[in-house]
Amino acid sequence: MVLEATMICIDNSEWMRNGDYSPSRFQAQADAVNLICGAKTQSNPENTVGVLTMAGKGVRVLVTPTSDLGKILACMHGLEIGGEMNLAAGIQVAQLALKHRQNKKQQQRIIVFAGSPVKFDKKVLEMIGRKLKKNSVALDVVNFGEEDEAKTEKLEALVAAVNNNDSSHIVHVPPGPSALSDVLISTPIFTGDGEGGSGFAAAAAAAAAGGAGFEFGVDPNLDPELALALRVSMEEERARQEAAAKKAAEEAAKQEKGEQSTSQDVNMTDTAKAGTSESENKATDLTDDENALLQQALAMSMDDSSSNIATRDTDMPEAAGDDQDLALALQLSVQDSMKDESSPADMSKLLADQSFVSSILASLPGVDPNDPSVKDLLASMQNQSEHKKDEDKEPKEEDKK
Amino acid sequence: MSAESASAIQRNQVDLLDFVDWSGVECLNQSSTHSLPNALKQGYREDEGLVLESDADEQLLIYIPFNQVVKLHSIIIKGPEEEGPKTVKLFSNREHMGFSNVNDFPPSDTAVLSEDNLKGKPVILKYVKFQNVRSLTVFVEDNQSGSDITKVEKIVLCGTTVETTDMKALKKIEDH
Repeated sequence: MVLEATMICIDNSEWMRNGDYSPSRFQAQADAVNLICGAKTQSNPENTVGVLTMAGKGVRVLVTPTSDLGKILACMHGLEIGGEMNLAAGIQVAQLALKHRQNKKQQQRIIVFAGSPVKFDKKVLEMIGRKLKKNSVALDVVNFGEEDEAKTEKLEALVAAVNNNDSSHIVHVPPGPSALSDVLISTPIFTGDGEGGSGFAAAAAAAAAGGAGFEFGVDPNLDPELALALRVSMEEERARQEAAAKKAAEEAAKQEKGEQSTSQDVNMTDTAKAGTSESENKATDLTDDENALLQQALAMSMDDSSSNIATRDTDMPEAAGDDQDLALALQLSVQDSMKDESSPADMSKLLADQSFVSSILASLPGVDPNDPSVKDLLASMQNQSEHKKDEDKEPKEEDKK
Repeated sequence: MSAESASAIQRNQVDLLDFVDWSGVECLNQSSTHSLPNALKQGYREDEGLVLESDADEQLLIYIPFNQVVKLHSIIIKGPEEEGPKTVKLFSNREHMGFSNVNDFPPSDTAVLSEDNLKGKPVILKYVKFQNVRSLTVFVEDNQSGSDITKVEKIVLCGTTVETTDMKALKKIEDH
């Protein structure tokens, strides 16, 4: 582990009031500072960390380099936001503070948080950078907040001037859903130079992940193989689902050719894609739908023609996506049309009672209940109502999985 | 001082290289690819292709601790004519100096190197100022041509050791 004295330069200018980093730029920065202080002091017991603010009335050293983490954390409270950041003065004061470190064996490092625009010339910054390099001070820059070309360019020039043996780094953190500290965890600023991170860093990373931060609740940095396996597995499953959905869509499209409008096709593919998560809803839909189907089948047998079909159509494709047999039956029934539509729930109960159906059929004009085609139909209706019950159960079981 | 007398005194003096505490040797503003061992270590320093180079500007600050007290008599600094060091300040027993405090203390001795010196002629130091040296800081302030990079080919420190006990050489005596 590197023996290091670190000065952290905080940006407490007015620009830090912006809320584009949650909860605010200043708070996000404070979190990141705490995290870095923790990492630095943990990586070597003799490491020291100091903090200074660059804005306000002037550069103010809050804590000179110390290994007492409590002191560092305490100084972060009650900081006032105000004024403009003075980057040049901040870095130079930090260097002075580092020069007077107690243990001269410590390497010197300055970490700068730059969230407001940089008003200094690139030349000035490069000059300061060279001075740091000459005194073998490393510099890390966290570029966040205000974003403009000139600022990025200036900061990069500064780091380039300081950089010696890749010991200095710059990190650009755009505003986004992930916290500033979370982004920093995986950067060299936090993990140190090519050491793969301290134990503390790893622990902090795991804590930050909390199962939610990463795609599968697994930190890809900690276990790349597991993460890869999970990813591959998910891709395969996704491909499989897509293929299934596509197939279903094609088949349904074939059956519905000529009858259904394109809008209904879309409707159906949607349903097919929805997969298991919607199956419960569908199960309840199905009850109504199937009742309607039976009704229509009955109507067909009645050989009655009417124009009520339009309202039914939209529901039917949903059912079709689920069961090919059902879709077929539905298709047949759609070819004819029907008129009378009483309460579907009652209807299905009535249909279950075969004798009742037969009596009804017998009472209908022009229908012979003994006609073989009618008998067939009745039998098939019986099957369908059985089928329906099974269907109701199945999707629910899937849900449990 | 004439060349004859210099070489005469030289006879009693030894190269202090053997007494350098290498773990403590430091050099500020050295180029990472052309570092101090190129100019100081036996073997490397004899090779003129291997040089110590400054990095950000022309200044160099070299800190050399010894593992026992020495008396420093003279110093040889070899370098190329153009980029060789010119003004060299020597401080004895000043630990952890930085470029910012080189002017805070009076140097024990200041040498302005001539072309002859750069070719290997030893610089005789104020012997009385270097009677009790535990560490030596060499500050190269500027170079011959005023360019940004200073090159040093070889550094030789000549002097005598003070008769003290080298604690590191002590060995446990076996019981009889």
